[in-house]
Amino acid sequence: MSHADVLSIFSGALTTLLLSIAGIALGLPLGLGLALARWAKVPLLNQVVAVYVSLLRATPLITLVLLIFFALPTAGISVGPVTAGLIALVLNTAAFNCEVWRAALLDLPKDQIEAAQSVGMGQALRFRRIVLPQVWRTALPGLINEMSQLVKLTPVLAVVGVVDITRAAVRIGAQTYEPLPPFLVALAIYIPIVYALVSVQRWVERRTTLREAAA
Amino acid sequence: MPTTLPFSRRGVLAALLLPIALWATTAQAANLDEIKKRGYMTVVTEDDFRPFEFVKDGKPTGFNNEMVDALRKYAPFEIRQEILPWPGILAGVATGKYDIAITAVLMTKERTQSLDFTSPIADATHYYVKRKDDSSIKSIKDLNGKTVGVQTGSAFLSRLPELQAMLAKEGGKLGKVVEYSSYPEAYQDLALKRTDFVVNTVINLKALVAERPNVFELGQPVSGNSYPAWAVKKGNTDLLKFMNEFIAAQKANGVMPALQKKWFGEAFTLPVSYTPEQ
Repeated sequence: MSHADVLSIFSGALTTLLLSIAGIALGLPLGLGLALARWAKVPLLNQVVAVYVSLLRATPLITLVLLIFFALPTAGISVGPVTAGLIALVLNTAAFNCEVWRAALLDLPKDQIEAAQSVGMGQALRFRRIVLPQVWRTALPGLINEMSQLVKLTPVLAVVGVVDITRAAVRIGAQTYEPLPPFLVALAIYIPIVYALVSVQRWVERRTTLREAAA
Repeated sequence: MPTTLPFSRRGVLAALLLPIALWATTAQAANLDEIKKRGYMTVVTEDDFRPFEFVKDGKPTGFNNEMVDALRKYAPFEIRQEILPWPGILAGVATGKYDIAITAVLMTKERTQSLDFTSPIADATHYYVKRKDDSSIKSIKDLNGKTVGVQTGSAFLSRLPELQAMLAKEGGKLGKVVEYSSYPEAYQDLALKRTDFVVNTVINLKALVAERPNVFELGQPVSGNSYPAWAVKKGNTDLLKFMNEFIAAQKANGVMPALQKKWFGEAFTLPVSYTPEQ
């Protein structure tokens, strides 16, 4: 394995990181939106979201990304490998995030909402001041769990030509006929990425606990 | 609170799936006129099929990638290339996402039902490769009952009956067949003794044995003649004609034989067209 080979795995790591961050940044609020539509029992949207979640949770990511990559062009929409990969990631993670958010929303005591209503808070203010601050803390462990899954789902996107950490390692193995060294380097890169996510969770949890103790 | 709305989950599901089903039936590849009009052709190549195509230091290289370079000089339109792992390649051509697969697609009877092939680009008879230290395999008849590794969806799967017949003549039979998503994994498993031999084209195996002579050893042919070629969607005849003219020109100007010598170790005399019987 040459110096350039290690560099190409790191450039794969950049792809993995960017796709994961974009997937999280889009999938997190989308999941919350879907969960709110179900929680508030918005007519029609409630059923559509329920079907969407069931459908997406039943679809393997690899099938979804192949469908998006090969089926969209026949409808006249041309998508590149990274775009197709990102769409598939977001659609997939939003469905799982939706259920995490929804569990947290269902867990929120009704009297909290009623108390907010009784002091005349509007819907938007209620959501910002009462619902979200409590809900996101309940949802956090589940969300971080889903995020670390998402990082490790990115190699699936290689099937449409996205070169992530794993694919970069596979390519080097195919060229040198020695697949083990590149895989070890790949593993050594995944570990800190997921560890960073977990550290963020711990930090946020510690900070909120300290704040509550101070209040 | 019970929902009393008329939208059942199943109804919504059906409404969502219908357009997807309609899409799938409308695929079409661009013909030569359309390619000329839009100004570019989309080419798909593989990333881990040394020596045909592989990636070295982050750059695509190998026989077919150098042929793509020659095509860039030859074609009056732009060549856009995408690099994909094998499982998506033929699907991409069949759905019309790519105009042509410039990779070593072995010509088989089955594949001619959905694809049209250009002139062959190499001679690729199938051989077996074994571990160098495995003394139990000396000739074809020793393959009796041994475990073989091949790439899934590879052309050799359809030619297994040939090896079966060779073994049956000696009173033996084919052992377990293990399929891998690509050949590097098959080689690795052979080195790890999970399989006893791997079958691939003589070109790929020569490259493997040259790179790791301490681990692998080339065996004998296990199939009759076999040729790899480039593939376009079935019925895209004017594009096929254009590509065959390109191949003929590269043979005539000496570029193709030189590249064959560089990547495969020898230049081949190849038929202009070939109809696979298997």
